[in-house]
Amino acid sequence: MPAYQPSVADTVRSLVTKQLNLNGYSQDLRPDDNLWSFGMTSLTCLGLMLSIEDTFEIELPEEALKEATFRSINTISAAVESSRK
Amino acid sequence: MSNPTMRSSDLVFAAGAKRPTKADVVIIGNGALGMFLADELVERQVGSVVVVGPSHRDTGASQAAGAMLGCFGETTTESLRTDAARTRFELGISAHDKWPEALRRIDEFAPSDRPMQTTTESHIILNSVGAELDTVNFAAIIDALDQYDKPWKEVDPADIPGYNPRTESRALRAIHLPTEGAVDARGVLASLERRLRHGGAILLDQTVRRLVGSDEAVTAVELDDGHLIEAGAVVVAAGIHSESLVRTVFDVPDLMPTFPGLGFAMIAKRTGGEPFTSVVRTPNRGFACGLHVVPQGGGLEYYGATNRLVNTISSVTWMADVRFLAQYSMHQLDERAAIHEVTKWCAGNRPVTLDGFPLVGWMPPSGLYLMTGTYRDGFHCAPLLAEHVANELQGKAGIIDSIFQPMRKPVATRTVEWSIDEYVTHSLAAWFETGAQAAPQMTTSQLTDYYRNMAVQTYEQLGVDYGLGPDILWYAQGNLHGARRVARYLRTFKGDGDVAQPAGATTGTVGTR
Repeated sequence: MPAYQPSVADTVRSLVTKQLNLNGYSQDLRPDDNLWSFGMTSLTCLGLMLSIEDTFEIELPEEALKEATFRSINTISAAVESSRK
Repeated sequence: MSNPTMRSSDLVFAAGAKRPTKADVVIIGNGALGMFLADELVERQVGSVVVVGPSHRDTGASQAAGAMLGCFGETTTESLRTDAARTRFELGISAHDKWPEALRRIDEFAPSDRPMQTTTESHIILNSVGAELDTVNFAAIIDALDQYDKPWKEVDPADIPGYNPRTESRALRAIHLPTEGAVDARGVLASLERRLRHGGAILLDQTVRRLVGSDEAVTAVELDDGHLIEAGAVVVAAGIHSESLVRTVFDVPDLMPTFPGLGFAMIAKRTGGEPFTSVVRTPNRGFACGLHVVPQGGGLEYYGATNRLVNTISSVTWMADVRFLAQYSMHQLDERAAIHEVTKWCAGNRPVTLDGFPLVGWMPPSGLYLMTGTYRDGFHCAPLLAEHVANELQGKAGIIDSIFQPMRKPVATRTVEWSIDEYVTHSLAAWFETGAQAAPQMTTSQLTDYYRNMAVQTYEQLGVDYGLGPDILWYAQGNLHGARRVARYLRTFKGDGDVAQPAGATTGTVGTR
């Protein structure tokens, strides 16, 4: 039986939860929720970007380095999937 | 690392074309560094020299420079605090001594009757607009002048020719530096072009697309239209474009990043009142080089300058910068500037290295030499660096410190705690200098707390333990692209004690700043 592999979205959710200190509220966060309404700032976004790249061992394209990419778990997951291709 | 020594050889021209296919030295970049180096090589008659660079010099720092020949006027509290910073400072002092000969050489090639050296003196003013940073840097200037036994004297600001600020912005202290002047940057470049053509160098009005070779040796350059020029040595002196050119053959993670320091200045024709006859400037201010006016000759005056680190190389001018420079020139230098006629908008990109120190020396691929990262005094240092690089190209001993070797680890001059203090000081200076407003009860200490929290959080998010300069920290904090470049580069050295611990630095808090 293969080991459980978390999905990209699961991993992104975990990183977002940690970065935004959402422990306890994580399950309330829907994939489309606007993270900027959940306390994300330009500085926490900076750390989130670095942790996303480190965790998935990717380099996001320069055009993806904007606030819109980090709007939600869905948009982040899409950027990760796109960079992995 | 092999350092090729130049040999004499005849130029070989492509059939039917006036462009060479071979040269002993190809210099990429026609700013001050590239042009003075070419001139030095031609003077030494050591072989064929080709300079590649667009004649418009758009986005370059040199064409937009105020070209103050000032090292003491640029002194800050950081200038002499560490051994490394002092070495950098003394580069400027040595460069200063090279200018009389440099000017003598190009004088007969001047494109107009306007003087090449537009003034031989400076006044440093201390007003209360720029916050505490002005005060401590003003004191640092005087301290440095005394340490190096240079002449200066305190003067009544009201006696400075041309100086006519609004009353509430007037300086209460000023000093006169009789040996720090300025040159007409654009006139010097034009004179160098004429002299180089006269001396047989070839100037190509093009750009270089890529270096040709491998990570072991560079053998040629490819121009934007595909034309190849084989070279005994390639010198990359292309300012802010240098790093990307080097990376076309040598793309390694520990190559120090260089950021565009986009700056704006104006040249205006005086329409009345008493002209400035000296450089009149404030000390260096928040994240930038202070407000200054530089006589240009022919009734023209240069007003500068802004500085912001940006992601993209461009020659755009922000409306905010126009407002800033125009308003504060009128407030702090001369009210009558309001009706001066702007004849030239100057925008250029200073090459700013992550550690703030120049990158000068041979690169690991043989035949490749890098000469950039001079930030705000590349013009001033150009004659000295030209002599140094010419020596090294000829296989002779250099004349500057080896600290500037391009493949070094980042020079460490401050702890993270010191960096945060500096960032706060610069941010407060910028707050007051730009005329930002807070409610009267929003005290300076509250602003200090705000900026300190920002800096602390930035370090937490970046995950680096290297003390950044205030301008780099501001840049990394302000955008994702900048943050990633800073973090990725520094993480290459993570855990390396040589980098994290400032060598020869005084550590601790900044104290009363």
